[in-house]
Amino acid sequence: MSIILEVVVYLAVGAGYWWWGQNLAFFGLVPNLIFAAALCAAILAGPVKALAWGFFLGLYADLLGSNMFGGYALTFTIMAYAVYVMKRHFDMDSPFSQLVAALALSWVCMFFYQGLGIIFSRPGSLDLRVFLAEPFLNALAVPVMFQVLFRLKRRFGVL
Amino acid sequence: MSREKDAANYSVVVFAAIAVLLLLFPVAKIAHTVRIAVSYSLYPSLHYGAKYAYYIRNVPDNFVKLLETDQENRSLKEKVKGLEVRLQSASALEAENARLAAEMNLSRALPWTGAWARVINKTPADWYGSFFIDQGSERGIAVNDTVMGMDGGRAGLAGRIFEVYPKFSKVLLLTNSAASAVCSLAPDGLEALVEGKGTWMLKLNYVPEESNLAEGAEVLTSPGGLLFPPGVLVGKVKKVYQRESFMNFITADIVPAVNVNTLKEVFVVRRNLPEELLGARQAEK
Repeated sequence: MSIILEVVVYLAVGAGYWWWGQNLAFFGLVPNLIFAAALCAAILAGPVKALAWGFFLGLYADLLGSNMFGGYALTFTIMAYAVYVMKRHFDMDSPFSQLVAALALSWVCMFFYQGLGIIFSRPGSLDLRVFLAEPFLNALAVPVMFQVLFRLKRRFGVL
Repeated sequence: MSREKDAANYSVVVFAAIAVLLLLFPVAKIAHTVRIAVSYSLYPSLHYGAKYAYYIRNVPDNFVKLLETDQENRSLKEKVKGLEVRLQSASALEAENARLAAEMNLSRALPWTGAWARVINKTPADWYGSFFIDQGSERGIAVNDTVMGMDGGRAGLAGRIFEVYPKFSKVLLLTNSAASAVCSLAPDGLEALVEGKGTWMLKLNYVPEESNLAEGAEVLTSPGGLLFPPGVLVGKVKKVYQRESFMNFITADIVPAVNVNTLKEVFVVRRNLPEELLGARQAEK
């Protein structure tokens, strides 16, 4: 039952990101809900499940794009591992630490993905607008996403 | 704790390895198939239950009528709301009508056959990379068809069809960092390569250093390029960069002829490229 709910939540995150992009994009900017969900799953779930969520959410992001296939999967998997290491040393349950982590990891992920582009595809210029604004939108989205997933976990055992 | 740590370490290695394998090996066909499945899942259709009559079989008639009146009332309210919105958007539609009429006149003057399509979705994460249009294989759209936009009363190259579904298609924009086009430069007719940068601007590469490339020069698609019909406006030279000491060609920034941010309709030119050439293109991927 829990695995079905997890698949539903997984699809809902992807569809939600898609819907937000279509209807609520402001100057082409939207919080990266897939990134936010991967980060929150990494904070809430055990290590194996967190890594699986990171990997599969990354695959979803790869499916939505037209660039190299597997780039986001690798990025979010490594991010989930980094969060697993970090949460043993920091309290990641407070909104402020989530906000800071989302801000920092957004930029780290962008740089890492660009690096993968150089290695596996070809160097692509990073949109300055996205580079400057998206991490802040992500930082706002992550505590909200965390609360949603936390409640789902407590109530239905998801994650 | 150690067991959990081991599990985490093994998991990260496995998932990272799978991701790297996906990056390394040509999975374009599989990815394409899965992309179709995902795209269909993102266009959910609402189904009204066919078993409605079965569920209300024991409900008294007067209550059913009350329910039906309520439903009718709701649907009429929705209709009124819809009509109000349509009334308010009449001026916007009028403006759109004028724009489309102008574009239609323009397309009649074009020497190519094709179909008009509306831009229906842009992915924020891939803003200058791709978008979806509302025409697909049912209207004869095929992979590698040329996509043109109308800007300032003139047709310009926007990109090419990248993925085709029955009712919609995905367009790979020329501004995508993976896109390029062989172009010729006015007035000499020199050939060079225009490449996307992932931003609104394009890059002109491999221009011979002896060419007298000037700012404002028009860049057109070249007959030497396979994918695009020749003579389509690609953009204008914005800035020419001097030759670097280690290169024997110069580069330039190009302002695209079509602004992706204001593009609402596109004209898809049917290319009907020979199968052998398409096969060669697929093999290149």
